[in-house]
Amino acid sequence: MVQAVNRPAIPESQHPYADIIHRLEAGGSMLPDTPENLMQIIGIYKAYAVPMDFYWRDLLYIAEKVFLNPVPAFKYFISKEYLDRPNSYAGDSADLRIWRGEADAHPELREFMARGETGKLPKLAHHLWHDRVNMEFAEACMRAMLWHQGMGGRFYDYLESDEYVANADRAIKAYFKGNPAMLGLYKLFPTMFLEKVRELSYYANLGLFWEVMAPVFFEMSDLYDEGKMTTVPEAMDFLVNGIFAVAGRPIYHHLYIGDECIEIIPKSAGFTWLYEAALPYVEAVFYRTAPFRGTKSYNAQAGQVPEQQKDFHYGILYADVFPVGTAGIPPTLLMQDMLHFLPDYLREYYDEHCRGDDDILIQLGITFQRSMYNVTSAVIQALRGALLYPLDDPNPRHRQANRQFFESQMDRFLRPEARLRDIQRRDYR
Amino acid sequence: MPTIVDIAVSNEGFSTLVAAVQAAGLVEALQSPGPFTVFAPNDDAFAKLPPGTVQTLVQNPPQLGRILKFHVVSGKYTKDELIRLGSVESLEGAPIPIDGTEGFEVKNATVLAADIEADNGIVHVLDNVILMG
Repeated sequence: MVQAVNRPAIPESQHPYADIIHRLEAGGSMLPDTPENLMQIIGIYKAYAVPMDFYWRDLLYIAEKVFLNPVPAFKYFISKEYLDRPNSYAGDSADLRIWRGEADAHPELREFMARGETGKLPKLAHHLWHDRVNMEFAEACMRAMLWHQGMGGRFYDYLESDEYVANADRAIKAYFKGNPAMLGLYKLFPTMFLEKVRELSYYANLGLFWEVMAPVFFEMSDLYDEGKMTTVPEAMDFLVNGIFAVAGRPIYHHLYIGDECIEIIPKSAGFTWLYEAALPYVEAVFYRTAPFRGTKSYNAQAGQVPEQQKDFHYGILYADVFPVGTAGIPPTLLMQDMLHFLPDYLREYYDEHCRGDDDILIQLGITFQRSMYNVTSAVIQALRGALLYPLDDPNPRHRQANRQFFESQMDRFLRPEARLRDIQRRDYR
Repeated sequence: MPTIVDIAVSNEGFSTLVAAVQAAGLVEALQSPGPFTVFAPNDDAFAKLPPGTVQTLVQNPPQLGRILKFHVVSGKYTKDELIRLGSVESLEGAPIPIDGTEGFEVKNATVLAADIEADNGIVHVLDNVILMG
Protein backbone atom coordinates (compact mmCIF):
# COMPACT_ATOMS: atom_id res chain seq x y z
CA MET A 1 0.00 0.00 0.00
CA VAL A 2 2.79 2.40 0.93
CA GLN A 3 4.58 1.52 -2.30
CA ALA A 4 1.47 2.31 -4.29
CA VAL A 5 1.30 5.78 -2.73
CA ASN A 6 4.99 6.39 -3.37
CA ARG A 7 4.92 5.26 -6.99
CA PRO A 8 5.92 8.29 -9.06
CA ALA A 9 2.84 9.99 -10.45
CA ILE A 10 4.99 12.00 -12.86
CA PRO A 11 7.82 11.08 -15.27
CA GLU A 12 11.38 10.95 -13.98
CA SER A 13 13.27 14.21 -13.75
CA GLN A 14 15.76 14.97 -16.52
CA HIS A 15 17.70 17.39 -14.33
CA PRO A 16 21.49 16.82 -13.98
CA TYR A 17 20.81 16.19 -10.27
CA ALA A 18 17.80 13.94 -11.00
CA ASP A 19 19.07 11.28 -8.57
CA ILE A 20 19.14 13.79 -5.72
CA ILE A 21 15.78 15.28 -6.72
CA HIS A 22 14.22 11.81 -6.61
CA ARG A 23 15.77 11.30 -3.19
CA LEU A 24 14.28 14.58 -1.95
CA GLU A 25 10.91 13.53 -3.38
CA ALA A 26 11.15 10.31 -1.41
CA GLY A 27 11.64 12.28 1.80
CA GLY A 28 15.43 12.14 1.83
CA SER A 29 18.22 14.67 2.18
CA MET A 30 20.77 15.95 -0.32
CA LEU A 31 23.27 14.08 1.83
CA PRO A 32 23.20 10.31 1.25
CA ASP A 33 21.78 8.26 4.09
CA THR A 34 24.74 6.30 5.45
CA PRO A 35 25.73 5.60 9.06
CA GLU A 36 29.07 7.30 8.38
CA ASN A 37 27.40 10.50 7.17
CA LEU A 38 25.03 10.46 10.14
CA MET A 39 27.89 10.01 12.59
CA GLN A 40 29.81 12.87 10.99
CA ILE A 41 26.98 15.38 10.85
CA ILE A 42 25.69 14.72 14.35
CA GLY A 43 29.19 14.93 15.78
CA ILE A 44 29.80 18.23 14.06
CA TYR A 45 26.39 19.63 15.08
CA LYS A 46 27.37 19.02 18.67
CA ALA A 47 30.82 20.59 18.15
CA TYR A 48 29.10 23.57 16.48
CA ALA A 49 26.45 23.99 19.17
CA VAL A 50 28.95 24.69 21.97
CA PRO A 51 30.64 27.75 20.38
CA MET A 52 27.20 28.72 19.03
CA ASP A 53 26.06 28.89 22.64
CA PHE A 54 28.68 31.60 23.07
CA TYR A 55 27.91 33.31 19.74
CA TRP A 56 24.22 33.89 20.42
CA ARG A 57 24.79 35.08 23.96
CA ASP A 58 27.54 37.49 22.94
CA LEU A 59 25.66 38.73 19.88
CA LEU A 60 22.74 39.69 22.13
CA TYR A 61 25.14 41.12 24.73
CA ILE A 62 26.66 43.38 22.06
CA ALA A 63 23.28 44.36 20.58
CA GLU A 64 21.60 44.99 23.92
CA LYS A 65 24.37 46.20 26.23
CA VAL A 66 27.62 47.15 24.48
CA PHE A 67 25.60 48.92 21.78
CA LEU A 68 27.43 52.00 20.44
CA ASN A 69 30.39 51.90 22.80
CA PRO A 70 32.96 53.88 20.74
CA VAL A 71 35.81 51.66 21.95
CA PRO A 72 34.22 48.22 22.25
CA ALA A 73 37.47 46.53 23.27
CA PHE A 74 35.67 44.27 25.70
CA LYS A 75 32.67 43.31 23.61
CA TYR A 76 33.77 39.66 23.63
CA PHE A 77 34.01 39.71 27.44
CA ILE A 78 30.46 38.59 27.87
CA SER A 79 28.83 39.43 31.20
CA LYS A 80 27.83 36.80 33.75
CA GLU A 81 24.22 37.84 33.21
CA TYR A 82 24.40 36.83 29.55
CA LEU A 83 26.24 33.58 30.28
CA ASP A 84 23.48 32.70 32.73
CA ARG A 85 20.69 34.02 30.51
CA PRO A 86 18.21 31.18 30.10
CA ASN A 87 17.93 29.89 26.56
CA SER A 88 14.27 30.13 25.54
CA TYR A 89 14.37 26.59 24.13
CA ALA A 90 16.19 24.66 26.85
CA GLY A 91 15.79 24.12 30.59
CA ASP A 92 12.75 24.22 32.82
CA SER A 93 11.85 27.82 32.02
CA ALA A 94 11.74 27.27 28.25
CA ASP A 95 8.95 28.73 26.12
CA LEU A 96 9.17 25.49 24.18
CA ARG A 97 11.65 22.94 25.42
CA ILE A 98 13.68 21.60 22.51
CA TRP A 99 16.77 20.45 24.43
CA ARG A 100 16.43 18.53 27.69
CA GLY A 101 19.62 20.15 29.01
CA GLU A 102 20.02 23.28 31.09
CA ALA A 103 19.22 26.77 29.88
CA ASP A 104 22.42 28.58 30.90
CA ALA A 105 25.79 28.42 29.10
CA HIS A 106 26.91 24.88 28.25
CA PRO A 107 29.36 23.35 30.77
CA GLU A 108 31.91 22.58 28.03
CA LEU A 109 31.79 26.20 26.96
CA ARG A 110 32.38 27.45 30.50
CA GLU A 111 35.28 25.05 30.91
CA PHE A 112 36.87 26.18 27.65
CA MET A 113 36.40 29.85 28.53
CA ALA A 114 38.28 29.25 31.76
CA ARG A 115 41.15 27.16 30.42
CA GLY A 116 41.32 27.51 26.63
CA GLU A 117 44.06 25.46 24.99
CA THR A 118 46.83 26.94 27.08
CA GLY A 119 45.48 26.54 30.62
CA LYS A 120 44.10 28.73 33.34
CA LEU A 121 45.13 32.31 32.61
CA PRO A 122 43.55 35.73 33.12
CA LYS A 123 40.72 36.44 30.69
CA LEU A 124 42.70 39.21 29.01
CA ALA A 125 45.62 36.85 28.31
CA HIS A 126 43.29 34.32 26.69
CA HIS A 127 41.80 37.11 24.62
CA LEU A 128 45.06 38.59 23.39
CA TRP A 129 46.56 35.15 22.73
CA HIS A 130 43.43 34.37 20.75
CA ASP A 131 42.85 31.30 22.88
CA ARG A 132 39.10 31.80 23.02
CA VAL A 133 35.86 31.45 21.10
CA ASN A 134 36.27 33.25 17.78
CA MET A 135 33.41 35.75 17.86
CA GLU A 136 34.87 37.19 14.66
CA PHE A 137 33.22 34.29 12.85
CA ALA A 138 29.80 35.21 14.25
CA GLU A 139 30.36 38.83 13.27
CA ALA A 140 31.33 37.77 9.74
CA CYS A 141 27.99 35.94 9.46
CA MET A 142 26.17 38.99 10.81
CA ARG A 143 27.92 41.23 8.27
CA ALA A 144 26.96 38.86 5.45
CA MET A 145 23.31 39.29 6.46
CA LEU A 146 23.68 43.07 6.77
CA TRP A 147 25.45 43.42 3.46
CA HIS A 148 23.31 41.17 1.30
CA GLN A 149 19.91 42.25 2.67
CA GLY A 150 16.85 42.04 0.42
CA MET A 151 16.61 38.25 0.82
CA GLY A 152 12.96 38.05 1.71
CA GLY A 153 11.29 39.01 4.94
CA ARG A 154 10.53 42.57 6.00
CA PHE A 155 13.50 43.23 8.31
CA TYR A 156 15.56 45.30 5.91
CA ASP A 157 12.63 47.47 4.84
CA TYR A 158 11.82 48.17 8.46
CA LEU A 159 15.39 49.38 9.11
CA GLU A 160 14.71 52.14 6.57
CA SER A 161 11.32 53.10 8.02
CA ASP A 162 10.56 56.32 9.89
CA GLU A 163 9.47 54.29 12.90
CA TYR A 164 12.85 52.54 13.10
CA VAL A 165 14.78 55.79 12.62
CA ALA A 166 12.79 57.41 15.44
CA ASN A 167 13.38 54.43 17.76
CA ALA A 168 17.09 54.36 16.93
CA ASP A 169 17.34 58.10 17.52
CA ARG A 170 15.74 57.67 20.93
CA ALA A 171 18.14 54.84 21.73
CA ILE A 172 21.23 56.78 20.62
CA LYS A 173 20.26 59.83 22.65
CA ALA A 174 19.50 57.74 25.73
CA TYR A 175 22.73 55.74 25.40
CA PHE A 176 24.90 58.87 25.13
CA LYS A 177 22.96 60.85 27.72
CA GLY A 178 25.42 63.08 29.57
CA ASN A 179 28.10 62.57 26.90
CA PRO A 180 28.22 65.86 24.94
CA ALA A 181 31.15 64.72 22.81
CA MET A 182 29.31 61.69 21.38
CA LEU A 183 26.02 63.58 21.12
CA GLY A 184 27.89 66.29 19.20
CA LEU A 185 29.32 63.69 16.84
CA TYR A 186 25.84 62.25 16.41
CA LYS A 187 24.59 65.68 15.39
CA LEU A 188 27.39 65.96 12.84
CA PHE A 189 27.14 62.43 11.42
CA PRO A 190 23.64 61.14 12.19
CA THR A 191 23.48 58.59 9.37
CA MET A 192 26.74 56.99 10.43
CA PHE A 193 25.33 56.36 13.90
CA LEU A 194 22.09 55.13 12.42
CA GLU A 195 23.93 52.69 10.19
CA LYS A 196 25.79 51.32 13.21
CA VAL A 197 22.46 50.78 14.98
CA ARG A 198 21.20 48.91 11.90
CA GLU A 199 24.26 46.69 12.14
CA LEU A 200 23.50 46.12 15.83
CA SER A 201 19.96 45.12 14.88
CA TYR A 202 21.51 42.38 12.76
CA TYR A 203 23.56 41.33 15.81
CA ALA A 204 20.25 40.87 17.63
CA ASN A 205 18.69 39.11 14.66
CA LEU A 206 21.49 36.56 14.36
CA GLY A 207 21.70 36.10 18.14
CA LEU A 208 17.99 35.26 18.32
CA PHE A 209 18.39 32.93 15.35
CA TRP A 210 21.25 30.96 16.90
CA GLU A 211 19.59 30.86 20.31
CA VAL A 212 17.26 28.35 18.68
CA MET A 213 19.83 26.36 16.73
CA ALA A 214 22.14 25.58 19.66
CA PRO A 215 19.53 23.57 21.64
CA VAL A 216 18.31 21.93 18.43
CA PHE A 217 21.81 20.62 17.74
CA PHE A 218 22.37 19.58 21.39
CA GLU A 219 19.16 17.60 21.36
CA MET A 220 20.07 15.89 18.09
CA SER A 221 23.42 14.88 19.58
CA ASP A 222 21.72 13.47 22.68
CA LEU A 223 19.19 11.54 20.61
CA TYR A 224 22.01 10.08 18.52
CA ASP A 225 23.97 9.07 21.62
CA GLU A 226 20.85 7.34 22.95
CA GLY A 227 20.38 5.48 19.67
CA LYS A 228 17.14 7.33 18.93
CA MET A 229 18.33 9.10 15.80
CA THR A 230 19.47 6.49 13.34
CA THR A 231 19.27 7.88 9.80
CA VAL A 232 20.16 11.05 7.90
CA PRO A 233 16.49 11.67 6.92
CA GLU A 234 15.55 11.44 10.62
CA ALA A 235 18.15 14.09 11.37
CA MET A 236 16.74 16.23 8.57
CA ASP A 237 13.15 15.74 9.75
CA PHE A 238 14.12 16.79 13.27
CA LEU A 239 15.42 20.04 11.79
CA VAL A 240 12.28 20.47 9.67
CA ASN A 241 10.07 20.07 12.74
CA GLY A 242 12.32 22.47 14.66
CA ILE A 243 12.01 25.07 11.90
CA PHE A 244 8.22 24.87 12.03
CA ALA A 245 8.06 24.79 15.82
CA VAL A 246 9.89 28.10 16.25
CA ALA A 247 8.91 29.71 12.94
CA GLY A 248 6.80 32.29 14.79
CA ARG A 249 9.42 33.28 17.35
CA PRO A 250 9.69 37.10 17.46
CA ILE A 251 12.80 38.78 16.08
CA TYR A 252 13.38 42.09 17.87
CA HIS A 253 16.11 44.45 19.06
CA HIS A 254 16.02 45.80 22.59
CA LEU A 255 18.61 48.06 24.20
CA TYR A 256 19.15 47.98 27.96
CA ILE A 257 20.55 51.03 29.73
CA GLY A 258 20.55 50.12 33.39
CA ASP A 259 17.04 48.90 34.05
CA GLU A 260 15.53 50.84 31.19
CA CYS A 261 14.58 48.92 28.06
CA ILE A 262 14.37 50.79 24.77
CA GLU A 263 12.63 48.90 22.01
CA ILE A 264 14.49 49.68 18.78
CA ILE A 265 12.63 46.88 17.00
CA PRO A 266 9.64 45.95 19.19
CA LYS A 267 8.23 42.44 19.22
CA SER A 268 4.98 44.01 18.08
CA ALA A 269 6.56 44.73 14.69
CA GLY A 270 5.62 41.11 14.01
CA PHE A 271 8.97 39.88 12.71
CA THR A 272 9.39 36.13 12.81
CA TRP A 273 12.30 33.74 13.20
CA LEU A 274 11.55 31.97 9.91
CA TYR A 275 11.02 34.94 7.60
CA GLU A 276 13.28 37.60 9.08
CA ALA A 277 16.13 35.48 10.43
CA ALA A 278 16.36 31.86 9.28
CA LEU A 279 15.70 32.26 5.57
CA PRO A 280 17.89 35.38 5.17
CA TYR A 281 20.60 33.65 7.22
CA VAL A 282 20.64 30.56 5.02
CA GLU A 283 20.71 32.69 1.88
CA ALA A 284 23.43 35.04 3.13
CA VAL A 285 25.66 32.57 4.92
CA PHE A 286 25.19 29.16 3.29
CA TYR A 287 24.92 30.41 -0.29
CA ARG A 288 26.28 33.91 -0.75
CA THR A 289 28.65 35.49 1.81
CA ALA A 290 31.57 37.24 0.11
CA PRO A 291 35.06 36.27 -1.04
CA PHE A 292 37.24 35.99 2.05
CA ARG A 293 40.14 38.38 1.98
CA GLY A 294 43.47 36.66 2.04
CA THR A 295 42.39 33.43 0.42
CA LYS A 296 42.43 34.16 -3.28
CA SER A 297 42.64 37.21 -5.53
CA TYR A 298 39.61 38.01 -7.65
CA ASN A 299 39.54 40.35 -10.62
CA ALA A 300 36.14 41.99 -10.61
CA GLN A 301 36.83 43.71 -13.97
CA ALA A 302 37.38 40.29 -15.53
CA GLY A 303 34.01 39.17 -14.23
CA GLN A 304 35.45 36.87 -11.57
CA VAL A 305 33.08 38.33 -9.00
CA PRO A 306 29.38 38.25 -9.95
CA GLU A 307 27.76 41.55 -10.82
CA GLN A 308 24.65 40.76 -8.81
CA GLN A 309 24.79 40.01 -5.11
CA LYS A 310 22.21 37.26 -5.58
CA ASP A 311 24.76 35.36 -7.67
CA PHE A 312 27.44 35.37 -4.97
CA HIS A 313 28.53 31.83 -4.22
CA TYR A 314 31.10 31.92 -1.45
CA GLY A 315 29.12 30.15 1.26
CA ILE A 316 29.83 26.78 2.82
CA LEU A 317 27.81 24.96 0.14
CA TYR A 318 30.36 26.09 -2.46
CA ALA A 319 33.50 26.27 -0.34
CA ASP A 320 36.72 24.64 -1.37
CA VAL A 321 37.58 23.94 2.23
CA PHE A 322 41.30 23.49 1.71
CA PRO A 323 42.31 26.98 0.49
CA VAL A 324 40.22 28.67 3.16
CA GLY A 325 41.96 26.67 5.85
CA THR A 326 44.08 29.68 6.73
CA ALA A 327 44.36 31.52 10.02
CA GLY A 328 42.06 34.50 10.46
CA ILE A 329 39.65 33.54 7.69
CA PRO A 330 36.07 33.25 9.02
CA PRO A 331 35.43 29.59 8.09
CA THR A 332 38.75 28.61 9.64
CA LEU A 333 37.85 30.48 12.80
CA LEU A 334 34.72 28.36 13.05
CA MET A 335 36.64 25.15 12.37
CA GLN A 336 39.08 26.09 15.13
CA ASP A 337 36.12 26.70 17.45
CA MET A 338 34.53 23.35 16.63
CA LEU A 339 37.84 21.54 17.05
CA HIS A 340 37.67 22.16 20.81
CA PHE A 341 34.36 20.40 21.25
CA LEU A 342 34.52 17.38 18.94
CA PRO A 343 32.99 14.22 20.38
CA ASP A 344 35.53 11.41 20.83
CA TYR A 345 34.05 9.30 18.05
CA LEU A 346 34.60 12.08 15.51
CA ARG A 347 38.12 12.82 16.67
CA GLU A 348 39.00 9.12 16.34
CA TYR A 349 37.44 9.09 12.89
CA TYR A 350 39.62 11.97 11.72
CA ASP A 351 42.72 10.33 13.19
CA GLU A 352 42.11 7.34 10.94
CA HIS A 353 41.86 9.35 7.74
CA CYS A 354 44.03 11.61 5.56
CA ARG A 355 46.81 13.10 7.65
CA GLY A 356 45.06 12.60 10.96
CA ASP A 357 45.56 15.42 13.39
CA ASP A 358 47.62 17.46 10.90
CA ASP A 359 44.71 18.20 8.61
CA ILE A 360 41.90 17.81 11.09
CA LEU A 361 40.58 21.33 10.40
CA ILE A 362 40.13 20.47 6.72
CA GLN A 363 38.49 17.15 7.53
CA LEU A 364 36.07 18.66 10.00
CA GLY A 365 35.43 21.54 7.58
CA ILE A 366 34.29 19.04 4.96
CA THR A 367 32.17 17.26 7.56
CA PHE A 368 30.68 20.65 8.34
CA GLN A 369 29.95 21.10 4.65
CA ARG A 370 28.13 17.75 4.60
CA SER A 371 26.18 18.74 7.70
CA MET A 372 25.15 22.07 6.19
CA TYR A 373 23.92 20.35 3.04
CA ASN A 374 21.67 18.43 5.42
CA VAL A 375 20.49 21.63 7.12
CA THR A 376 19.86 23.16 3.69
CA SER A 377 17.89 20.02 2.77
CA ALA A 378 15.77 20.60 5.88
CA VAL A 379 15.16 24.21 4.82
CA ILE A 380 14.21 23.08 1.29
CA GLN A 381 11.85 20.40 2.66
CA ALA A 382 10.37 22.86 5.16
CA LEU A 383 9.72 25.38 2.40
CA ARG A 384 8.20 22.66 0.25
CA GLY A 385 5.97 21.66 3.16
CA ALA A 386 4.98 25.25 3.94
CA LEU A 387 4.45 26.53 0.42
CA LEU A 388 3.73 23.47 -1.68
CA TYR A 389 2.42 19.95 -1.22
CA PRO A 390 2.99 16.75 0.77
CA LEU A 391 5.48 14.33 -0.80
CA ASP A 392 2.77 11.67 -1.10
CA ASP A 393 0.18 14.03 -2.60
CA PRO A 394 -1.81 11.93 -5.09
CA ASN A 395 -2.45 14.87 -7.44
CA PRO A 396 0.13 14.79 -10.32
CA ARG A 397 -0.15 18.55 -10.76
CA HIS A 398 0.89 19.04 -7.16
CA ARG A 399 3.71 16.55 -7.55
CA GLN A 400 4.87 18.46 -10.61
CA ALA A 401 4.89 21.70 -8.60
CA ASN A 402 7.04 20.02 -5.95
CA ARG A 403 9.31 18.72 -8.73
CA GLN A 404 9.74 22.20 -10.20
CA PHE A 405 10.56 23.58 -6.78
CA PHE A 406 13.20 20.92 -6.10
CA GLU A 407 14.67 21.39 -9.58
CA SER A 408 14.90 25.14 -9.14
CA GLN A 409 16.68 24.62 -5.82
CA MET A 410 19.11 22.18 -7.43
CA ASP A 411 19.78 24.69 -10.23
CA ARG A 412 21.72 26.69 -7.66
CA PHE A 413 24.20 23.83 -7.42
CA LEU A 414 24.84 23.55 -11.15
CA ARG A 415 27.73 26.01 -11.01
CA PRO A 416 31.09 24.25 -10.86
CA GLU A 417 31.99 25.50 -7.37
CA ALA A 418 29.05 23.65 -5.77
CA ARG A 419 30.05 20.69 -3.60
CA LEU A 420 26.79 18.77 -3.96
CA ARG A 421 28.40 16.15 -6.22
CA ASP A 422 31.39 15.82 -3.87
CA ILE A 423 29.36 15.13 -0.76
CA GLN A 424 27.77 12.17 -2.51
CA ARG A 425 31.17 10.46 -2.32
CA ARG A 426 32.40 8.78 0.82
CA ASP A 427 36.07 9.55 0.08
CA TYR A 428 35.56 13.32 -0.14
CA ARG A 429 37.23 14.44 3.03
CA MET B 1 -26.77 37.96 9.02
CA PRO B 2 -23.91 36.68 11.25
CA THR B 3 -20.44 38.25 11.09
CA ILE B 4 -17.34 36.34 9.99
CA VAL B 5 -16.47 35.71 13.64
CA ASP B 6 -20.00 34.46 14.41
CA ILE B 7 -19.76 31.95 11.57
CA ALA B 8 -16.43 30.61 12.85
CA VAL B 9 -17.69 30.38 16.43
CA SER B 10 -21.02 28.75 15.62
CA ASN B 11 -19.65 26.11 13.23
CA GLU B 12 -17.86 22.99 14.33
CA GLY B 13 -14.28 22.49 13.23
CA PHE B 14 -12.96 26.03 13.69
CA SER B 15 -12.05 26.01 17.38
CA THR B 16 -8.30 26.43 16.72
CA LEU B 17 -8.93 29.32 14.34
CA VAL B 18 -11.25 31.00 16.82
CA ALA B 19 -8.70 30.57 19.63
CA ALA B 20 -5.96 31.94 17.37
CA VAL B 21 -8.02 34.98 16.36
CA GLN B 22 -8.74 35.65 20.02
CA ALA B 23 -5.07 35.21 21.02
CA ALA B 24 -3.99 37.61 18.29
CA GLY B 25 -6.58 40.17 19.36
CA LEU B 26 -8.23 40.26 15.97
CA VAL B 27 -11.82 39.55 17.03
CA GLU B 28 -12.85 43.18 16.99
CA ALA B 29 -11.25 43.80 13.61
CA LEU B 30 -13.06 40.82 12.07
CA GLN B 31 -16.36 42.02 13.53
CA SER B 32 -15.99 45.46 11.99
CA PRO B 33 -18.00 46.30 8.85
CA GLY B 34 -15.09 45.38 6.54
CA PRO B 35 -15.92 43.85 4.17
CA PHE B 36 -13.34 41.06 4.26
CA THR B 37 -12.65 37.87 2.43
CA VAL B 38 -11.41 35.29 4.92
CA PHE B 39 -9.65 32.06 4.04
CA ALA B 40 -10.45 30.01 7.12
CA PRO B 41 -8.30 26.92 7.83
CA ASN B 42 -10.29 24.31 9.73
CA ASP B 43 -9.06 22.41 12.79
CA ASP B 44 -7.64 19.59 10.66
CA ALA B 45 -5.56 22.16 8.78
CA PHE B 46 -4.00 23.45 12.01
CA ALA B 47 -3.47 19.88 13.22
CA LYS B 48 -1.26 19.22 10.18
CA LEU B 49 1.32 21.73 11.42
CA PRO B 50 4.29 20.10 13.18
CA PRO B 51 4.24 20.06 17.01
CA GLY B 52 5.05 23.34 18.70
CA THR B 53 4.17 25.56 15.73
CA VAL B 54 0.83 26.75 17.07
CA GLN B 55 2.17 26.96 20.64
CA THR B 56 4.95 29.37 19.62
CA LEU B 57 2.52 31.48 17.64
CA VAL B 58 -0.07 31.65 20.42
CA GLN B 59 2.70 32.77 22.80
CA ASN B 60 3.48 35.63 20.42
CA PRO B 61 0.31 37.47 19.38
CA PRO B 62 1.90 39.96 16.90
CA GLN B 63 3.54 37.11 15.00
CA LEU B 64 0.36 35.05 15.11
CA GLY B 65 -1.58 38.08 13.91
CA ARG B 66 0.72 38.41 10.93
CA ILE B 67 0.11 34.80 9.85
CA LEU B 68 -3.64 35.22 10.34
CA LYS B 69 -3.66 38.47 8.33
CA PHE B 70 -2.21 36.48 5.46
CA HIS B 71 -5.57 34.69 5.43
CA VAL B 72 -7.59 37.88 5.11
CA VAL B 73 -8.18 40.12 2.10
CA SER B 74 -9.81 43.52 2.14
CA GLY B 75 -13.02 43.41 0.09
CA LYS B 76 -15.60 40.74 -0.58
CA TYR B 77 -14.54 38.26 -3.25
CA THR B 78 -16.52 35.22 -4.32
CA LYS B 79 -14.95 32.06 -5.67
CA ASP B 80 -15.54 33.11 -9.29
CA GLU B 81 -14.10 36.57 -8.74
CA LEU B 82 -11.01 35.17 -7.02
CA ILE B 83 -10.35 32.67 -9.80
CA ARG B 84 -10.71 35.43 -12.36
CA LEU B 85 -8.24 37.66 -10.47
CA GLY B 86 -5.64 34.87 -10.09
CA SER B 87 -3.99 36.65 -7.16
CA VAL B 88 -5.10 38.96 -4.35
CA GLU B 89 -3.14 40.96 -1.81
CA SER B 90 -3.54 39.85 1.79
CA LEU B 91 -3.79 42.23 4.74
CA GLU B 92 -0.31 40.95 5.68
CA GLY B 93 0.95 42.49 2.46
CA ALA B 94 2.05 39.34 0.64
CA PRO B 95 0.09 38.15 -2.41
CA ILE B 96 -2.13 35.06 -2.27
CA PRO B 97 -2.16 33.10 -5.54
CA ILE B 98 -5.49 31.56 -6.57
CA ASP B 99 -5.89 28.65 -8.97
CA GLY B 100 -9.06 27.38 -10.59
CA THR B 101 -7.56 24.75 -12.90
CA GLU B 102 -9.02 21.92 -10.87
CA GLY B 103 -11.59 23.02 -8.36
CA PHE B 104 -10.67 26.02 -6.25
CA GLU B 105 -7.18 26.28 -4.75
CA VAL B 106 -5.76 29.05 -2.61
CA LYS B 107 -1.97 28.86 -2.67
CA ASN B 108 -1.25 25.27 -1.60
CA ALA B 109 -4.62 24.78 0.09
CA THR B 110 -7.80 23.40 -1.39
CA VAL B 111 -11.04 25.18 -0.65
CA LEU B 112 -13.40 22.74 1.09
CA ALA B 113 -16.37 25.10 1.21
CA ALA B 114 -16.62 28.33 -0.77
CA ASP B 115 -18.73 31.47 -0.69
CA ILE B 116 -20.07 31.34 2.87
CA GLU B 117 -21.76 34.72 3.13
CA ALA B 118 -21.36 36.85 6.24
CA ASP B 119 -22.66 40.25 7.21
CA ASN B 120 -19.20 41.78 6.84
CA GLY B 121 -17.70 39.65 4.10
CA ILE B 122 -17.30 36.14 2.85
CA VAL B 123 -15.57 32.98 4.09
CA HIS B 124 -13.83 30.21 2.14
CA VAL B 125 -12.80 27.16 4.18
CA LEU B 126 -9.26 25.80 3.63
CA ASP B 127 -7.73 22.39 4.28
CA ASN B 128 -4.29 23.93 4.96
CA VAL B 129 -2.86 26.86 6.84
CA ILE B 130 -1.25 29.00 4.13
CA LEU B 131 2.07 30.77 4.65
CA MET B 132 3.75 33.70 2.96
CA GLY B 133 6.57 33.18 0.51
